[in-house]
Amino acid sequence: MQINYAKKEVSCKLVYYGPGMSGKTTNLEVIHQKVPEHSKGEMTSIATEGDRTLFFDFLPLDLGQVRGMTTKFQLYTVPGQVYYSSTRKLVLQGADGVIFVADSQAEKLPENIESLKDLQTNLEEYGLKIDEIPLVIQWNKRDLPSAMVVEELDKKVNWMNASTTTAIAATGEGVLGTLKLAASLILDRLNTKEPGAAATPPRKAVSAPAPAEAPKAADAAKTEETPAPEKKEVYVAKINSDQISRQYFTQYCQIQYRLGARNDDVEDFKKFTPEEKRKLLEMLINHVLLLQDAKKRNIQPSKEEIETQVQDFAKRFKAKAELDGYLSRRKLSLDNLRNEATKNVIIGKIIQQVIPNLGERLKITEGDVRDFYGENAAKFGGKPIENVKNEVIAAIKGARKRALLEEFFGKLRQQAAIQVFNENI
Amino acid sequence: MKDEQLRERRLVYYKDDFDQIEKLLDEFLKLSNARCIFLIDKEGHLITQKGVTQTFNSSTLSALVAGAFAATKEMARILGETEFSVMFHQGKKDHIHLSLVGDRAITATVFDEKTTVGMVNLYAKELTSKLEKIFEIASKRVVQEQPLETGYSDSVRDRLDDMFKD
Repeated sequence: MQINYAKKEVSCKLVYYGPGMSGKTTNLEVIHQKVPEHSKGEMTSIATEGDRTLFFDFLPLDLGQVRGMTTKFQLYTVPGQVYYSSTRKLVLQGADGVIFVADSQAEKLPENIESLKDLQTNLEEYGLKIDEIPLVIQWNKRDLPSAMVVEELDKKVNWMNASTTTAIAATGEGVLGTLKLAASLILDRLNTKEPGAAATPPRKAVSAPAPAEAPKAADAAKTEETPAPEKKEVYVAKINSDQISRQYFTQYCQIQYRLGARNDDVEDFKKFTPEEKRKLLEMLINHVLLLQDAKKRNIQPSKEEIETQVQDFAKRFKAKAELDGYLSRRKLSLDNLRNEATKNVIIGKIIQQVIPNLGERLKITEGDVRDFYGENAAKFGGKPIENVKNEVIAAIKGARKRALLEEFFGKLRQQAAIQVFNENI
Repeated sequence: MKDEQLRERRLVYYKDDFDQIEKLLDEFLKLSNARCIFLIDKEGHLITQKGVTQTFNSSTLSALVAGAFAATKEMARILGETEFSVMFHQGKKDHIHLSLVGDRAITATVFDEKTTVGMVNLYAKELTSKLEKIFEIASKRVVQEQPLETGYSDSVRDRLDDMFKD
């Protein structure tokens, strides 16, 4: 499907599939005859001398402007004969929907089944599943004496439970109904309201990849393996192949707020302005990118490394009880700290790999200290440089670290596909 | 995941990229002296066209160009290549030059005796590498999907009903 906002056009591809002589080209011919002159494109056939379709038949249908978008359906047929398998696959590329024209005659049953299996295989090569793509099976040639009853055909052929129609394409009966049904199935996919969220709930809920950033989210994912009541997931962003649900994002915001709050007097539920949310989402995107990159590089922080980081943080408190008090007042858990620690450990490891001559860039010379002090003397309360040397060094380190991180995340973002669904934030 | 997957397959073109694309196509026509150019996606949908194209049936041409490319890909496979990036068909007066743009699109340039296949090929190479860059940047950009107007699907259904009233 192509959606061209610049030209205000929508173009869908619908492919007629089925065994040889089942009536695919006839379907197209009937449509061609019935289309009003002004919407009709030329019908093109690439046929052999025996009048069998060689490559494909093609019929463009122009529906004109619909709600401001010029809407087109491109109808294709594939050659049915078994030996044209590779051409069939080519035509199927980019199909938004398939009409399978089946021959109802009893003696054609094996051919129908073989062709459907062929369709299944070819779809799979494009990463599509036969029971997921919009598919209509048309039981054609209902007028022939050896036509099997529909229930029987359904049982023997329609194992993927597709929608079905009946037709006598030679007289035109049922042709338009089939087309409309298939178009309808394709259009159902054009879920306009919630981009990023599926029209029907996805079969398996995809949660963000952060291993345990929010333990609650991880638990939720676990329970979802058992049949959970169907609930509609709304996503705020998609980063490469990972989606971030709104629920997860909300939790992330709250945890970041509690981690970063100036004092322990935190609100139960902090409300954020849209601007703050955007900032937090950018942070989360960085975090997800980091974890994805770590996975790619096969970087896994060990438990000890994480615990050391957590212990470093715990040193700020005189006793374990004080740390516990800090956490409980902020409604945080040790796991939240561990996640932050994991992030820091990974950053430390990746940056060594990614940023060239890191050692040199982090080296601070006497000259650096003098320059920085000179530029920011006011910040150090006018105290003589000898007295604040350590503070100056810490400030320089902080600034360099920020610059390195910015550079690093900039690199990650350049290579990533990031989609943000603003309306869901 | 089915809808997700379909959405990913959807090709979406936005105004900003489009303006750049059209500008490049215009420049190409000026430089190469070709008659017209079609930009087609690999699935056979026309993206846009420039130059003197009125006499051609562009949607059928797009479908055939995409088909021809797909077919030569099989040819390439037999030779051990992934695909051929350029194709050229010579007629008595008019000729057509096809060139791949990245992995999603094809340019089809129609030209006559006012220029040569060499010129067309040369500028087409420049053009495709520029287009590739635009596509690449566009595909990575953080975009907010502009939803189609609500009720669009229903309106299309109604239109089909109208069209095929018995």
